[in-house]
Amino acid sequence: MTDTLLRPAPPAALTHEERSALIDSVRRLLADRCTEGDVRRIIDSDSGHDPALWRALVDLGIAGLTVPEAHGGAGLGATELELVMEEAGAVLLPAPLVSAAIAATLVPDLDGLATGERIAAVAFTGRHGWTGRDTVTVAGGRVTGTARFVADAAIADTILVAADEGVFAVEVADARITPLPVFDRTRRMADVAIDAPARQVADAGVIAKARDIGVVALAGEQAGGARRMLEMTVAYARDRHQFGRAIGSFQAIKHMAADLLLESESATSAARDAARQLADGSTTADAAVALAAFACADAFVRVAKDGIQMHGGIAFTWDHPAHLYLRRARSGAQLFGDSDRWRDRYLAALEAQA
Amino acid sequence: MTDDELRAEVEAWLAEHWRGLPAHHESFGRDPRSAWLAEVRDAGWAVPRWPTDRWGRGLSNDQAKIVERAFAAAGAPGAGQDRTNLWANTALAHATEGFRGQIVPQLLAGEVGMCLLYSEPGAGSDLAAIRTRADKVDGGWRVTGQKVWTSGAAVADYGMLIARTDWDVPKHRGISFFFLPMKQPGVEVRPLRQITDEAHFSEVFITEAFVPDDHLLGPLNGGWGVLQTALAYERSVMGDAARGPRSGAGGPKGDYSLLGLAREAGRIDDPVVRQQVAQAIAWRALNRLNTARAKAELAQGTSSPIMSLGKLAMSRILHEEARVRTLLLGAESLLQGPDHPRAEDANFLTLNAYFTSIGGGTDQIQRNIIGERVLDLPREPEVDRTLPFREVRAG
Ligand SMILES: Cc1cc2nc3c(=O)[nH]c(=O)nc-3n(C[C@H](O)[C@H](O)[C@H](O)COP(=O)(O)OP(=O)(O)OC[C@H]3O[C@@H](n4cnc5c(N)ncnc54)[C@H](O)[C@@H]3O)c2cc1C
Repeated sequence: MTDTLLRPAPPAALTHEERSALIDSVRRLLADRCTEGDVRRIIDSDSGHDPALWRALVDLGIAGLTVPEAHGGAGLGATELELVMEEAGAVLLPAPLVSAAIAATLVPDLDGLATGERIAAVAFTGRHGWTGRDTVTVAGGRVTGTARFVADAAIADTILVAADEGVFAVEVADARITPLPVFDRTRRMADVAIDAPARQVADAGVIAKARDIGVVALAGEQAGGARRMLEMTVAYARDRHQFGRAIGSFQAIKHMAADLLLESESATSAARDAARQLADGSTTADAAVALAAFACADAFVRVAKDGIQMHGGIAFTWDHPAHLYLRRARSGAQLFGDSDRWRDRYLAALEAQA
Repeated sequence: MTDDELRAEVEAWLAEHWRGLPAHHESFGRDPRSAWLAEVRDAGWAVPRWPTDRWGRGLSNDQAKIVERAFAAAGAPGAGQDRTNLWANTALAHATEGFRGQIVPQLLAGEVGMCLLYSEPGAGSDLAAIRTRADKVDGGWRVTGQKVWTSGAAVADYGMLIARTDWDVPKHRGISFFFLPMKQPGVEVRPLRQITDEAHFSEVFITEAFVPDDHLLGPLNGGWGVLQTALAYERSVMGDAARGPRSGAGGPKGDYSLLGLAREAGRIDDPVVRQQVAQAIAWRALNRLNTARAKAELAQGTSSPIMSLGKLAMSRILHEEARVRTLLLGAESLLQGPDHPRAEDANFLTLNAYFTSIGGGTDQIQRNIIGERVLDLPREPEVDRTLPFREVRAG
């Protein structure tokens, strides 16, 4: 397989080997272009966005991974998306991939999506709002109000407003975008004040599915982040000596590591299962997505927090990457709603199955 | 053979042979289902992954799963023991040719009751500290010592025994692994009353009991290695499943019965209860997903770190489910007895969760193992690891 993804019939399922090759090429690209130094450079920049890195992701087919081939994308499904996001999460990739995946489901034929020329941010409002703070309404042929905490809005060309009445495209010229001072600078957010003509680009029926794709992408990112944070922590526990022993030989540390491995592996299993169920159109996908949402969010937060504790003082320094993982974990744990909400939805989905 | 042909064959075989079983059976001793299990064994379904000259069908993992699924769909037990039968797998891997031919078929049909003679009063987590001795005599070994917490001992025909055969080498290197015939004068079993008010485990006093030469598994003094095979099977089984409610009143399905119980108790709309029920169900669901992924990874040839996580995960599941059950019942959980099956279940499951979190290696020992063998963290310093066992301090 070459580094450009050309596949038949969307959404195509890859063979095991093709999938490994895809992941390898993503991993190589990220190792080269998204080192810790790159991440720090990008989060210190005003926009939090690196156009050259974005271009490299576009060239590899990652930006349009789930855009159908007919519209110039790679035409792949949730399974591949989730695996790619594990790699992205491991290196804290600051790029609008989750937004891109959601947009590709909402409006697959949105011009410029697959080529990365158009970055679309998605504002979930109404029934699918997760902040409880939006004031967006659709009436009299206009979209008005403020959508809050919209990821990637400040670098977007188009804001897709997912409202109860449908999906509406708002060009950024018709919106006032106020970047927020975010705690996790790898995931930029902005408030978007809108007063624009209601240009509908999709039915409301597609929103839930698009949100689920976003959740699965995020879950993969969290599983990948948790795994990397644990690897870092375990490596440190092997090297660092106190009392004449590696700290990893102390059970207080070793047992935490074992518990975190269970969390992090469970997160990976949950994210992959939700992706597979979405890709297969399984009837139990609702429950699987909800499970992945809280299992991955909770696992990443716990691994990041305990990982800092296990490192000791070194991880309390700005120059150590551990806090970047904790920040990322904490922002992901809010995006699309917190774990308690997803646990409740999980139970509701099981009740509906029973 | 194609997958479809195999599926057709196993389904046809089941249609012809499977007639159902008596509903209830005890978890220890000879298996009352053994007539059926023998049929399954003779047809090669018991261990489909094993070679055809070893009671199996030489199937790939994927094809063996077809067999297991067909049996599960029919509700018929006995297939796929190549993954789950710790006794038969240990014997297959380590028994002498002659003894293997005798014991493995019996194990596959549950025709012999089995127990594990590992733990001793002075050797629990530190199993390599055993002091039960096996001394060479004509034609076999004389065994003397005391075992404890031996599940199923009272109804066992054989015990998988670890005993010391060399006292002058470090503790892991002087242990041998035997199949000890239990029904002989030198073996005395004294049942212990458990916190569940059952008596499944016992003390076993062994005095000059005899083990024939060919009941030695693996090399002399190589018992620690054999034990690792047996423990791995035991732990993987414990990570997959555990005993459910005793009464059966709480619903047959383990996790989902929490949902049923929450409804029955009128608590399903309480947001606090919902969080806890959902999380308890989620732990079990995640363990199932982990196990499925581990098996898939193993089938693809990559080793899987997840396999070793199941038992630790199951401990949390069982303790948490029991806690949530209790929460749902409130004051009702103060009761016991046959008139209060829901309370019986909650209380029994609260206690029986320790079967998984202590038995087969405690949660703490599992964490050590995961930390050291999976995550490659350094071992605890162990003062007696390299001393000749004779010089190790006990007590
Ligand atoms: C229901 C049940 C059924 C059983 N069935 C059998 C059976 O059939 N056959 C058999 O041989 N045995 C059986 N056992 C015994 C079981 O394997 C042991 O109880 C277990 O391995 C612990 O040993 P112990 O009880 O001596 O506790 P100990 O080893 O004395 O442990 C006491 C406490 O110290 C902790 N501890 C000990 N060492 C360490 C360490 N290195 N690091 C951290 N913590 C440590 C333990 O986790 C535990 O909390 C059974 C036990 C139970 C509860």
